[in-house]
Amino acid sequence: MNQIEKAARDSDVDKCVQCGKCTAGCPSGRQSRLRTRALVQMAYQGQDITDMKELWSCTTCYNCAERCPKGVNTVDAIIKLRNLAVRRGNFPKVHLNAIENLYNTGNGFPLSPEVAKIRSIIGLAKEPYDVSTDPEELSKVQKLMDITGFLDMVRGAEQ
Amino acid sequence: MNAKKMEFSLFPGCIAKNMYASIEKSTRFVFDRLGIQLRDHRYTCCPAPGVFRGYDIDTWLTLGARNLAEAERDHLDVLTICNGCYGSLFGSNHVLQEDPEKREEINKILAQTGKQYNGTIQVLHFADVLSQLHDKILEQKVVDLELQLAVHYGCHYLRPSHHHESMNVESPHVVEDILNLVGCEPVDFKNKLSCCGAGGGVWSGDENVALDVLEEKLAFMLEGEPDAILNICPFCHLQFDQGQKKLQKFQIPVLHLNQVLGLAFGERPKKLAIHTHLVSTREIERKVKKLKKKKKK
Repeated sequence: MNQIEKAARDSDVDKCVQCGKCTAGCPSGRQSRLRTRALVQMAYQGQDITDMKELWSCTTCYNCAERCPKGVNTVDAIIKLRNLAVRRGNFPKVHLNAIENLYNTGNGFPLSPEVAKIRSIIGLAKEPYDVSTDPEELSKVQKLMDITGFLDMVRGAEQ
Repeated sequence: MNAKKMEFSLFPGCIAKNMYASIEKSTRFVFDRLGIQLRDHRYTCCPAPGVFRGYDIDTWLTLGARNLAEAERDHLDVLTICNGCYGSLFGSNHVLQEDPEKREEINKILAQTGKQYNGTIQVLHFADVLSQLHDKILEQKVVDLELQLAVHYGCHYLRPSHHHESMNVESPHVVEDILNLVGCEPVDFKNKLSCCGAGGGVWSGDENVALDVLEEKLAFMLEGEPDAILNICPFCHLQFDQGQKKLQKFQIPVLHLNQVLGLAFGERPKKLAIHTHLVSTREIERKVKKLKKKKKK
């Protein structure tokens, strides 16, 4: 069994009867090339679909998983396939910004000077109480990400 | 949920802290009025359940466990005000509580920074906490707002449905019940429980799809002729507010539930900073001012 098949079967994809309710209820599929039913079938067959851009068109709304009559965990399957895709360098590069932000500040969306100003005007602490303002705690968070190899994995795959 | 404890660790999330501070402001104001203490902890991003979990499940779980460990140290449940944070932390907590082997594996990583998570706390969504505080909300209400609102639940509050075993996620009314307490009327519209289009990394990674999903949703909402869109998630809030600016077709004001409650509790709109949204909230401000004046007479 290859990695794709394993990711698929861990999410019960082998129970799929190809009824298509997942695709029918997919808000993104109405506007994009994402066809959940087809992805599920290809993953089950072990086809390498990690270079398919539509893996990244899923909003993870869970309509499909919720409505699946066989209890296939479609969203988790897509997440696992994305994990495999990332290791092969297949991901929207625009996400690198959020990934760097997470490593450097602890937040996907960091504080801007404009919002810092608004915060102090409306009576909130100018800088939120979180890891971004605590260098010691932030370095611990970075250590955790170093151990899981997060940044190296993404950067390595990018090259 | 232990609402009797009346103290939670507030998990504001990146967007309410760093982009829509007006939502953090109204949250602190409303919960203070309701007599609930919110404590702050040194959190990171939840991290986001679609985009960061999509990159590496173990990193997502490790940072989630670290966040949960911060609140657990003070024996506090985590109060989220964002569906993304709720979905993410509820999800990581579920794994860490139900899978002891995985928890041990993650704890070995956390131990290298002197931390540990034992799985003893709960992750709550603020709408569920408010739903148990109807009496207190009525006590604090100063004005019936008489706003017609298009309620947007957002995906990660409702789904996966095992997060809410006692709720019919195809027909929820938690938010409508709260709005009725402060004199607001939810309007009906097609495909009400559908996605805003922003989640899963699509907002930044596939912007055209995110905006197409949003445009369809906004057109349905408009049919209900709402005074504003009502959300319970800063990320949906961002999508509705920034997305309308990008689409340049709609101008429906966007309000988070805590902002509506803040207004109903009598706080001035300027103090809640709803004017910092991109879509003008001037009509809402005018309406609230008029109602308050009428009440004084």
